[in-house]
Amino acid sequence: MARTRTTKKLAQRIDLNYFKRPTPLKRAKFWLSLLLPLLGLVWIAWRGFSGDHRVYSSGRLSRAHAVLDKECAACHVRQTGAFSARAEDNACLGCHDGPIHHASKSATPDCATCHTEHRGTINISAATNQACAECHADLKTSHPDTIYTSHISSLEDGHPEFAALRPVAGTPASDPGTIKLNHAIHMKPIRRGPNGPLVNLECGNCHRPIAVDADLTYADPKYRAAAVSYKDSEEFLPIHAETLKTPKPVSGRELMAPVKFANACAGCHSLAFDKRFDEGVPHDKPELVNAFLVRKFQQYIAAHPGEVRVQRDPNRDLTGKTLPPQVRVLTPAQWVVERTADAEELLWRKTCKQCHELTPSPKSAQRPIRAATAQGTDAQEVSAPLTELPYLAPAGITLEWMPHAKFDHDAHRGFTCVSCHPKALTSTESSDILLPGIATCKTCHAPGPGHAESRCFECHTYHDWSKRKEVTPRFTLPALRTDGR
Amino acid sequence: MRIDRSHRAWALASLAVFAISAAVYVIYAGTAPRGPRGGSAVGLIFGIVGFGFMIFAALLGARKRVATWRLGRAQAWMRGHLWLGLLALPMILFHGGFHFGGTLTRVLMWMLIITVFSGIFGAALQHYIPRLMTADVPLETIYDEIGHVRALLREEADRAVESLCGNIGLPKSSEGEVQRAGGFTALRPIAAAVVPLRTSAAVSAGASAALATAPEIILLSEEESAPLRRFYLSEMRPFLDHPKQSGQRLTDAALASVVFAGLRTLLTARAHATLTELEDICDEARQLTRQERLQRWLQGWLLVHIPLSLALILLGALHAVMALRY
Repeated sequence: MARTRTTKKLAQRIDLNYFKRPTPLKRAKFWLSLLLPLLGLVWIAWRGFSGDHRVYSSGRLSRAHAVLDKECAACHVRQTGAFSARAEDNACLGCHDGPIHHASKSATPDCATCHTEHRGTINISAATNQACAECHADLKTSHPDTIYTSHISSLEDGHPEFAALRPVAGTPASDPGTIKLNHAIHMKPIRRGPNGPLVNLECGNCHRPIAVDADLTYADPKYRAAAVSYKDSEEFLPIHAETLKTPKPVSGRELMAPVKFANACAGCHSLAFDKRFDEGVPHDKPELVNAFLVRKFQQYIAAHPGEVRVQRDPNRDLTGKTLPPQVRVLTPAQWVVERTADAEELLWRKTCKQCHELTPSPKSAQRPIRAATAQGTDAQEVSAPLTELPYLAPAGITLEWMPHAKFDHDAHRGFTCVSCHPKALTSTESSDILLPGIATCKTCHAPGPGHAESRCFECHTYHDWSKRKEVTPRFTLPALRTDGR
Repeated sequence: MRIDRSHRAWALASLAVFAISAAVYVIYAGTAPRGPRGGSAVGLIFGIVGFGFMIFAALLGARKRVATWRLGRAQAWMRGHLWLGLLALPMILFHGGFHFGGTLTRVLMWMLIITVFSGIFGAALQHYIPRLMTADVPLETIYDEIGHVRALLREEADRAVESLCGNIGLPKSSEGEVQRAGGFTALRPIAAAVVPLRTSAAVSAGASAALATAPEIILLSEEESAPLRRFYLSEMRPFLDHPKQSGQRLTDAALASVVFAGLRTLLTARAHATLTELEDICDEARQLTRQERLQRWLQGWLLVHIPLSLALILLGALHAVMALRY
């Protein structure tokens, strides 16, 4: 007979009070439900009694503040009787000043608006784009008279082309410098150099960061050693008045040093003025060049008195011009005047003009030259129809192309110069601005992984550090390094 | 609880809440100068809503303890528990701006993640396992009673064997008075109904034994019953005592079938009915083992889900207070 199982029979096996009996599962649920929350409370209480309130921290402190990791009270100051212990600006300003953005700024946000702590070991000075966009996304609202682009939310959204490259009143931007340089020629193999033919210049032969020793491959020691009379102000354009200072000292590797004739040009570009002399004229103002020439020729004629007898050089006879006598005997002073005039003609019309803009100077139409006689008698003033001393335009070299931003060449040292400055290979005019456009920057600087930082802070600074105030220190090493206890 | 069409309204409402919250978060994260933070107004709202969902989900346990109170249908509570508990995770992620923050907040985030995912796991199991159990365990019993039913099966098997072999010296269990399901007849103590020698037919349990007609005692000779005695003492009784122990032939249905077929060839035809009964008992024991395994899956996740959710509520409240302070 088969074993039968009716529902009733099966039910009869069940104890009606089975649910009242503890089972291993029920017991485990009960004890775990009791122990786990209790464990959490014990953990919190333990941290509290040991004075470590980091357990409540909403995140790790930034790298700059990592040393304060256990010092919650350094920033979270609780007023007497108050429950809240929020970190206020005073806590920040106790250690470092935060100068204003600029005088016309309508509202100054709290420190934490831009510098948010407890977000991990981040760079806390790296403000978000949104913090800048608070005003710059609609600058006209807060500053109706602003001359700046008024809708910038980020590098990708609204940032204009660099000011130096933007056309002004329809005219393309141009380099205000007056030194004539054909970059294209200098980037090609050059037929003749100081040490032989086929010189192939590299960018670094002329352009080096300020803090780096100049490359002297094409330098001339004599010119490097010589003092010059012209000042920086005559060479360089003044730094933009609104240029924001950086909070920390610059390394000197950020920007390129201006190219110096003595370091980069003199090796090839000789300032020779007469075949009687091996040396060239000083790289200096025309007045000083002139004085140098007179002095040199006076010394020469004193040493070589026979040269006052001058024979006509048939190679220099020009058609239509009255020929001088075959042989002339000049006084030493006349000789000096003539040789100086010849040398200056060479310099002003060719040598100097190759790079500089020379314009006639009305003041130097007739220049008296005090020339000593060969016999060493009293100086004799010789008036002669000399070539005019030209007016040499200031070089007008721009030191900082982006006064409102900071660029660091050192951070980009892994890239070839022409990868960002491709126009250097083709530019023939010194008025060409070889500064790369913002599109070049955006090639690498963009949001998201696989790109370099593109937030505003990367190039711009908010605080005007020229108005920085000193703060009084308040921490001691033992207090910090022993958890303040 | 099966997740079926009856969840449609909850699912759609949850999806709508999630979509709106996500849209608010995207706008807020894109415009907040300091980025998304738990301490901002929007961040706090997300935190409060998320914590509210967690508390509601946790109240399901309390609701079960007062099942007779008129607090809404249990099914509605369970659906709310499922969907609002699930929504709590994105709300809290929005609250923290997807940052896990410091020590306590990180612990809380991981607890929430584990709680929610253990809940999802549990919901999936509850959706799938009951169907599996219906198919695999037709003789399913109440999980908590499996141990007791096993004991009854053992006694039934003992009686069946002794009905053929006589007393084989097995100890008789005695059970105290318990209130049993199955109506009036079941109220009689099982122990009182134990009769040493019964036919195996129609006897399936102790309670039913009380109602069984007088057994037909078919005692085999010592020689005839020797294979059964040997099999029972060396193989079947240990299996019934420890059905989960590996290496036993009776744990495998196919092998057990072979074993019983072999026994039938060794025993006289008079014993075949009892053999069928014993085979049936082994099958039921295997089903109980299977049920036990499935039930362990079905309820085991609660050992993670419930304690963690309670700790989460407690520490979450502490976090709220301390966050307001700092």
